[in-house]
Amino acid sequence: MTETQSDKEWVPKIVAIVCNWCTYAGADLAGISRIQYPPNVRIVRVPCTGRINPFYILKALQEGADGVLVSGCHPGECHYITGNLTARRKFAALKSFLSYIGLEGDRTLFTWVSASEGDRFAQVVRGVTDAVRALGPARKLVKKFQATEIPI
Amino acid sequence: MENVEKKLREEARRLLAEKKVDVVVGYEEGTLPLTATPCFITTPDQADRLVWNPLCVQNLAKFVHDLLSQHHEAQKRVKPEARRKKTVGVVARGCTTRSLVIQLQEKQYSRDEVVILGVPCGGYVDGRKLASLAGGEEIREGSLRDAKLVVKTGKGEHDAELHRLLADCCLTCRFNQPVIADSQAGEPAPAPEADREYEAVSAFENLPVEERWAYFEKEMSKCIRCCACRNVCPSCYCRICFAEQSQPQWIGIGADASDTQLFQLMRLYHMVGRCVDCGSCVAVCPMGVDLRKFLKKLDKDAFEMFGHRAGVALEEPAPLGAYREDDGEDFIFEPKV
Repeated sequence: MTETQSDKEWVPKIVAIVCNWCTYAGADLAGISRIQYPPNVRIVRVPCTGRINPFYILKALQEGADGVLVSGCHPGECHYITGNLTARRKFAALKSFLSYIGLEGDRTLFTWVSASEGDRFAQVVRGVTDAVRALGPARKLVKKFQATEIPI
Repeated sequence: MENVEKKLREEARRLLAEKKVDVVVGYEEGTLPLTATPCFITTPDQADRLVWNPLCVQNLAKFVHDLLSQHHEAQKRVKPEARRKKTVGVVARGCTTRSLVIQLQEKQYSRDEVVILGVPCGGYVDGRKLASLAGGEEIREGSLRDAKLVVKTGKGEHDAELHRLLADCCLTCRFNQPVIADSQAGEPAPAPEADREYEAVSAFENLPVEERWAYFEKEMSKCIRCCACRNVCPSCYCRICFAEQSQPQWIGIGADASDTQLFQLMRLYHMVGRCVDCGSCVAVCPMGVDLRKFLKKLDKDAFEMFGHRAGVALEEPAPLGAYREDDGEDFIFEPKV
């Protein structure tokens, strides 16, 4: 991880905030099934999508993430019964508001991946990477002066 | 107006004399011409200080929350048998009562700790519009009679119809009657044009994305992060605000534009289904940031997505604290197979 952004051409940096019970297990399944998917996502595991403070998403964008993916259990299948249902409302409002102020819609993406959907996880990551790649590097909301250059 | 004022004073005097309330929060004549300022009435003979006119701007629910939360905090250090209840009376127009409803929904205090003196509201005068009427000159004298406002400056006299000077939020206000009240002074005021409420938001939504971003960037570059908008907002009452939190530090303290944008974004996002469009933040902003353009969008979304109007019904929880199984899912990303 000593390479830095300046060493080679731009590749998207995507933060994936995923829930422990479904999507993280789905990503595990994708791994053990040896399904290939782009290596541009950094996975952050949280107990539940309901635990995700919407600030995490904004902060990730400010710190230089080109895209943020949030994924959890399908509605009705939450380990904590209703965590993803309240999360769904938060994300709906956040995404709509970010598009309103002029952020590209594909910078923040929300989806559901269950523990048995390893191939869906790979498809999602492929889809998100393509979408963010099409948008190019993030310019909006990004902090100009980073403390250190972030390794890619 | 005089009639409303008279009734208001009578009611405040009665409540204080009968010891039904410890303090009445209302408005009094300001120290400058054509201003009114919040005041705290604690004895019956002070009740005559109360005024009610279109120059009363601030949302008083903020003070109700401040007084009661400070009292609750202080009571923790008192022996249980010596604890006492504090009751606050408040002069409340439509938006103030909605803020009170939000605070009650969020269990900040109980309904019997607040006595609501409902007043009819036809809108308040926007400070900036008034200043431009005076041509930027200092207002020496002013009067308001029969929906006509006259200001005298060093360079002459100007006058205008009251309606032309009302704040934007008042022109399209949907709830200009108190939604809850213990007493009501005066007749209900005529309803403004609530149908045009989201006109500006819809127009902004249809702009190209880069123009919207440019506008957001331009407005946020004015912000000096004085936090006046937060301090005046009745829905902003966290003991430790994220803006000052240091672990984690959400907002950098430097001059980077993104920190200011993030501060505003985060504060605005807190207002989903909680903004009553009282316009206090816009009124106090020293830099004239167009906050309403963004706040109104959140209000619109809360209504269109979740069918929620902020602070209208006591039983209805804030939209982001609730869910329905059939909430909209059209924003969910579906990968192409």
